[in-house]
Amino acid sequence: MKQSASPAAPPTPTPARPRAPRTAVVVVLAGLMLAAVTIASIGLGARDISPLEIVRILLHPGAEGYNGDVLWTERIPRTLLGLTVGAALGASGLIMQALTMNPLAEPGVLGVQQGAAVFVVLGILFLDASSVQGYFWMALTGSAVTAVLVFLIGTRTNAGSSTIGLVLAGVAVAAVMSSLITLLVVRDEAVYAHLRFWSVGQLTGRGQFLGQVLPFALTGLVLALPLGRTLNLLSLGDETARGLGIRVERDRLASAAVAVLLCAAATAAVGPVAFVGLVAAHTARMLVGADHRWSLPLSMACGAVLLVGADTAGRLVIDHVEVQVSVMTAFVGTPFFVWLARRRDLVRM
Amino acid sequence: MPQTHAPRADGARSLGQASRDTAAELRAATAARLRGAHRAGIRRARLVACVLVLMLLALLVASILLGGVKKIPAGDVLPAAFGLRTGLADYVIFRIRLPRALAALLAGALFGLSGALYQRLIRNPLATPDMVGISAGAGAGATTVLLFAPAVPFGTSLAGIAGAFALVATVLALSRHGGSVDTYRLVLVGIGLSAVCTAYVNYLFTVAGQHGIAQVMRWLVGSVNDATWEGVSTLAGALAVCGLCTALLGRSLGSMSLGDQLALGLGTRVGAVRIATLLVGAAAAALATSVTGPIGFVSLISGPIAVRLVGADRSVALAVPIGAVIVLGADVLAQHGPVISPVPTGVLTALLGAPYFVWLILRRRQGATT
Repeated sequence: MKQSASPAAPPTPTPARPRAPRTAVVVVLAGLMLAAVTIASIGLGARDISPLEIVRILLHPGAEGYNGDVLWTERIPRTLLGLTVGAALGASGLIMQALTMNPLAEPGVLGVQQGAAVFVVLGILFLDASSVQGYFWMALTGSAVTAVLVFLIGTRTNAGSSTIGLVLAGVAVAAVMSSLITLLVVRDEAVYAHLRFWSVGQLTGRGQFLGQVLPFALTGLVLALPLGRTLNLLSLGDETARGLGIRVERDRLASAAVAVLLCAAATAAVGPVAFVGLVAAHTARMLVGADHRWSLPLSMACGAVLLVGADTAGRLVIDHVEVQVSVMTAFVGTPFFVWLARRRDLVRM
Repeated sequence: MPQTHAPRADGARSLGQASRDTAAELRAATAARLRGAHRAGIRRARLVACVLVLMLLALLVASILLGGVKKIPAGDVLPAAFGLRTGLADYVIFRIRLPRALAALLAGALFGLSGALYQRLIRNPLATPDMVGISAGAGAGATTVLLFAPAVPFGTSLAGIAGAFALVATVLALSRHGGSVDTYRLVLVGIGLSAVCTAYVNYLFTVAGQHGIAQVMRWLVGSVNDATWEGVSTLAGALAVCGLCTALLGRSLGSMSLGDQLALGLGTRVGAVRIATLLVGAAAAALATSVTGPIGFVSLISGPIAVRLVGADRSVALAVPIGAVIVLGADVLAQHGPVISPVPTGVLTALLGAPYFVWLILRRRQGATT
């Protein structure tokens, strides 16, 4: 606290030094986990294909047979899509938490994904959007509008703390949005069937969207990577950040825009998947601490591992039935959410 | 301040006498004013109740008269209602429109009752069965039985109650904090567990066959579309039982609104009353949900409207007709409203209720919380 204390014992470098080897371990572990879920996702499925066969097919692309088709047209694109979308959700969750200083912030919980869904429906109904690119622009608009709305409501509530206010605002906005969706599609059988398929977040049959979503998702991820330092400075509070020469409003807006872009790309590709961003961000912070330069890429990796792992598990838990990835992540993510909500420091901030 | 001390100017000897006199006068005056206020309150509550009953009757008539696909001439409706007409009019009125209208009315009443009970007990307008996750738990239980054991009599209702009780017990256990329940933690845990139940129902949706999908749909958005007389009788029984329990609990709830310490001093068994109230509220919401699916936000809106109209003391009783008016009105609108109809009833209540919810959390704290 005292000025004289800081030169004697500089607080920042001391904990950082022992963390360096730990960070290396974490990075290696993350890489291994990513490799493991990727291999599992390509190797496991309703159709048993022996590992040898898989290696042979991978080494001779465009070769023969039904197994080759299964791999090249379904499992591999699906796995890559899962990795991309998971990374996008993980990054988006961490950025939202850092910006709102809210451990419960997440695109699904805050209703941003429902907002994206409403606009996708509007696009299908009135603008004849049918490609994923069409969905993407609608989802982007919807995410942005909803994010602004939820933020405006959430920061003005009487709910005791802005943490809870944001969640309540998210729930209310999500309820309005899903009612609007039902209202819009209830009489149009074709749109309804389409939306029903889309609005339960899943990777099944979405592999073909990979090429269309990849540019947006990769742009978002590349833009997100250098945000670590900005987020570190913003998390010091507006006054301090401004004192350090940061243009707070501009940087916050830019970071939020990246988060919305990532969320929109993910939602346009696979539909709403809740709790991935939440779990990924917290896991990343638990592993490497509050430094966003490390936690942001790690959150991407955690999101990718979680989504692809959940998707693979969803293929295997019940015979002949694929449990959608959004259902799987809800079962993993909710206990986590409840645990966070129970923490003492959260409710009375 | 100076005025109340005025008698003391009389001198030390008469001070005791004088203050006793004024105290007695004051007490009498206060009692009279309280009695007056009480009577005025009752008069106002009666008036509001009469208006609500009239609205309900009007909505019932509208719901039965307004045509669906088959236009029944209004002249045929009344004879059909007395069993003087047979055939199409009889079928449409008795098999479709009347059970539907009654189901909406009764379900609304139950949602209103359970919401008001929870709000009064937990003293926070946000603590409703929707928020605590009861509706989602009831939906998960009822859907499971509907899909896997549809033949069991009253199976869906019982499973709905079981699911709701299981969920409310879990939510309460998880949101305890040093012996007391924190409202906001309650709401957050409720939101989380509702998400699990919703995911489970979503999952059932994918394994359900063509036949089951319509039924699961009802648990994604509440609707009274295919109400039957069996459902109506379930709801009516539930309303009777829960209403009776609420009447028995009423006095204790009133004393508990003064705070736990005072209530204990007045001889109320606080713990038992609290658990009983939670159970009655959960049962009311669960039974309504098991018949109609989750018709969102009704339990949230009804209580505060009742408090607005007649004050907190009579809010529970009045939330019942208010909930009925809301759901029946929303159903009439959902069936016949211009442009939008037909839509599931739950869509409209959510569209009306969610903005109100936003207003509720945006409102500055000014002691006006239930």
